[in-house]
Amino acid sequence: MNAAPAITQAQLTGRHKADESSPVRIAVKDLNFYYGSFHGLKSVHLNFHDRQVTALIGPSGCGKSTLLRTFNRIYSLYPEQRAEGQILLDGQNVLDAKVDLNELRSRIGMVFQKPTPFPMSIYDNVAFGLRLYEKLPKADLDVRVEESLRKAALWDEVKDKLKQSGMGLSGGQQQRLCIARTVAQRPEVILFDEPTSALDPISTGRIEELIEQLRSEFTIVIVTHNMQQAARISQFTAFMYLGELVEFGPTTRIFMNPEKRQTQDYITGRFG
Amino acid sequence: MDAATPIATTAAPARISRVRSGRRIADRTLILASTLATLIGIVVLGSILFMLVVEGIRGFSPMLFTEPTPGPGSEGGGIANAILGSLVLTFLGILVATPVGVMAGTFLAEYGRNSKLADLIRFLNDILLSAPSILIGLFVYTLMVRPMGSYSGWAGAVALAIIATPVIVRTTEDMLRLVPSTLREAGAALGAPPSIVIKSITWRGASAGIVTGIILALARIAGETAPLLFTALNNNSWFRADLMGGIPNLPVMIYQFALSPYPNWQQLAWAGALLITITILALSVVARFVIKTERSR
Repeated sequence: MNAAPAITQAQLTGRHKADESSPVRIAVKDLNFYYGSFHGLKSVHLNFHDRQVTALIGPSGCGKSTLLRTFNRIYSLYPEQRAEGQILLDGQNVLDAKVDLNELRSRIGMVFQKPTPFPMSIYDNVAFGLRLYEKLPKADLDVRVEESLRKAALWDEVKDKLKQSGMGLSGGQQQRLCIARTVAQRPEVILFDEPTSALDPISTGRIEELIEQLRSEFTIVIVTHNMQQAARISQFTAFMYLGELVEFGPTTRIFMNPEKRQTQDYITGRFG
Repeated sequence: MDAATPIATTAAPARISRVRSGRRIADRTLILASTLATLIGIVVLGSILFMLVVEGIRGFSPMLFTEPTPGPGSEGGGIANAILGSLVLTFLGILVATPVGVMAGTFLAEYGRNSKLADLIRFLNDILLSAPSILIGLFVYTLMVRPMGSYSGWAGAVALAIIATPVIVRTTEDMLRLVPSTLREAGAALGAPPSIVIKSITWRGASAGIVTGIILALARIAGETAPLLFTALNNNSWFRADLMGGIPNLPVMIYQFALSPYPNWQQLAWAGALLITITILALSVVARFVIKTERSR
């Protein structure tokens, strides 16, 4: 039963070399999460490095999205969900009750599984986050909107129809619009929650290229169901199973030489 | 039964055909019954509308829209005062009901959600929605008409507002719930406080549905008679600018004129009835149109 690795060396190309000396941007310490009485995350310890892409992988229900949703405390929209422990963003505990949630969320952007364009024009979608906390003159706002759309590789496709509804774009374009909206706020960290699972292969390819480009400016955490995707775009990978962090390390090592049996089984496709 | 089937292979074709013919009969009977029921409904509705158009159209003349209702026994006249009175009453009613209804619906869908208070409000709203409208008329009569010592347009408008509000609450809540929660999350993830998420995301997303609810509430109160009998009453001439005293309005005018012994009054009642029906039909068409254009966006 010597199953061949699902990911070949060729897919783990050199450009994705993990920089382990990069400073830690987010430090997760003894994090526990509860959905009512269900224990969703069990004492997770994990570091996320600055300007690196960290992929969270694991079978459905393993807690990878749950973990992602603790960083910006988006879970707190639902009263029955709670987190305990520490998530240090630049040394400050995100879970501290004193943290200003809206300020925190302007520093940590999030892109969701399904594209979530707001029912307003393309321009207003991108400007939405900017208008919340920055009072920019119209000319500066225009500049920021264009800059964000360019960073999201969407500018050329929408520059002539900025006043049209964002809902009229294709799925892949909508997702890039959401990325532009997030980038516009100039966050430090961007969280991607299975950003391509609702998209076709071509749109997926564009989003993956985009994530690679965004890495020069932002710390990125991406939850993905797709192991090839994790191998293609991440520098670090964390494998989770049943609410626990099983293994974490540079993506190349996790895929080529996993230390734990469960990781090996998952990446070779024996379960999950 | 299941265990026996492999053995009964020879008997199977006969059984299947029997089962099939049984099903075919059941199928045909049901189609016939439902077609018949639909036809009965259409014929009844059709004959009402036919009668209404034939009788009502005879009363249509320019005078209908310019002259006030005639006194007993006098010839001619129109229903201009009742049209204007109805417009004022429904407009005032919807003016009060819209903000109250939209805000309450927003509370139920956004802030309250599954709280005990929201459940209670939802329950009371459903009761109000199905309350007999004459009770609401009596309620406003005790609340306003008696203390003020006079029937008034204000009392009529309040009664209509009470009828329109639960309709708007219900549709607003339903439409807001249709907005996917991922949109709310996306708004919150950008650091938008709940008030801004509601104002610029969920309200916008549900706007066509909310507007449709308001139009349907308008259509509902435009034809209400019972709540006006005890509040706005009626009046055979123009009404006062301060809306005190009886206010002429189409539904009560129809009610009184239709039962009167004067042929010209009866004719005016037909014309008024046709006018109200056309208005309500038009409002429903507009409501459908709003939903359609929103869907195609």
